[in-house]
Amino acid sequence: MSDASRRSPRRSSIAADDASAAPSTAGERLPELLRRVAQRDRRAFEQLYAATSAKLYGTVLRILKERGRADDVVQEAYVTIWQKAAQFDTGRASPIAWMVAIARHAAIDELRRQPRAPHEPEETLAHTPAGGPSAREHLEHEQDAKRLHACLEALEAERRDMVRLAYLDGWSRADLATHFEQPVNTVKTWLHRALKQLKGCLAP
Amino acid sequence: MTDHDDIDMLAAEYVLGTLDAEERAEVARRRRHDADLDARILAWEARLAPLGDEVETIAPGPDLLVRIERRIDALETQPDDTTDDRRETGNTDGTAQVIALRRRLGFWRGCAGLATAAALILAVVLIVPFNETPNAPPLVAVFQQDDQQPAFMLSVDLDSRRLNVRPVTAKPLPDRSYQLWIKAEALGSNPRSVGVLNDNLSLPADALSDYDPELLKQATFGISIEPPGGSPTGQPTGPAIHGYLYATDQDAVSQHL
Repeated sequence: MSDASRRSPRRSSIAADDASAAPSTAGERLPELLRRVAQRDRRAFEQLYAATSAKLYGTVLRILKERGRADDVVQEAYVTIWQKAAQFDTGRASPIAWMVAIARHAAIDELRRQPRAPHEPEETLAHTPAGGPSAREHLEHEQDAKRLHACLEALEAERRDMVRLAYLDGWSRADLATHFEQPVNTVKTWLHRALKQLKGCLAP
Repeated sequence: MTDHDDIDMLAAEYVLGTLDAEERAEVARRRRHDADLDARILAWEARLAPLGDEVETIAPGPDLLVRIERRIDALETQPDDTTDDRRETGNTDGTAQVIALRRRLGFWRGCAGLATAAALILAVVLIVPFNETPNAPPLVAVFQQDDQQPAFMLSVDLDSRRLNVRPVTAKPLPDRSYQLWIKAEALGSNPRSVGVLNDNLSLPADALSDYDPELLKQATFGISIEPPGGSPTGQPTGPAIHGYLYATDQDAVSQHL
């Protein structure tokens, strides 16, 4: 733990900078860029894309696993961002969270419309970080992230895996039921318990 | 209480991604006019967002931004698009032939000379096979007058750097000139004049000979309506329409918007 916290400031700055050509100011620039995009400023849109596309693309590709499908979904996500930038409200979400949410929802919608072949979830699991220090190395919003990961640690292991596989890899209830060899309704119950437990744990 | 719990779990599972397609569509519809549900979704997105920190960032392919911008251009000129556009409906005189496009601000808006222009007119780019010309140039841009009719067509042979502009439905305007502009990252943020179209609405074939073929591939082109003889400022002053160059091979033709 002391090791992780000692390392996290450096790591977090790397994570925040990954997707940007103008590192230290990327996070601060996003609200301004979105504001200009809302005024239909194409140059700002290009800068916003440069600063965020690797994050969105990584998120979508992890869910869809195929570049072709990820291209289509990320394209539509940025079109949505262009169209809805005026609706973005800094008081309600951070710019990157808002943008990632648009891309994630688009990816999951696409996956639900056309699921992957049934054997793929097992392959995915091998690449899924199991948590622990390595998962903490790329924290962007340290405080929130530390709290969430502490709360995840408090979950039963299987439920924690379910939450992570659903959120990061787009697994459906049915995918989870197959993998964890449980009826779908049990999975739903477990997910609800896990989510309520997380919410309670995160409550101020 | 139970209702609140149910709604909260619906929001949570929507964010987590575990709902099926129908449930997701229903939640997406409902949140638009259900402020409580929408707020719960945002709260869950904020709670779970740090999970995404462990996702590896991956740069998309280099062409994706161009695809996105083309898609935006296409949407921006669709008649039913209800984003904050204002439409220009006049269509009665020669100028209106081009100006009757929806008013749009877009790629060219950032140009210094255009910042205050009342109207910028952007064009949908269509890919049109040049079947009638046996030695078809490899790249073509279409400056579209409306959703059906191209106003101008520009073709460029990259090897010889020769261009051919020809009017499709555009007509000479009394006391006005059409001027062709090129804009590319490598040229900075302002468009450069390629030339003022002559009375036949064409340009010398060597007007692009100073430009590198790679630059031409990335460039966008605009045609603006200017005072006779061309823009007095060196930048477009009037309404402009623009287009990208497209390859005229089979793949490109199949991308027809």
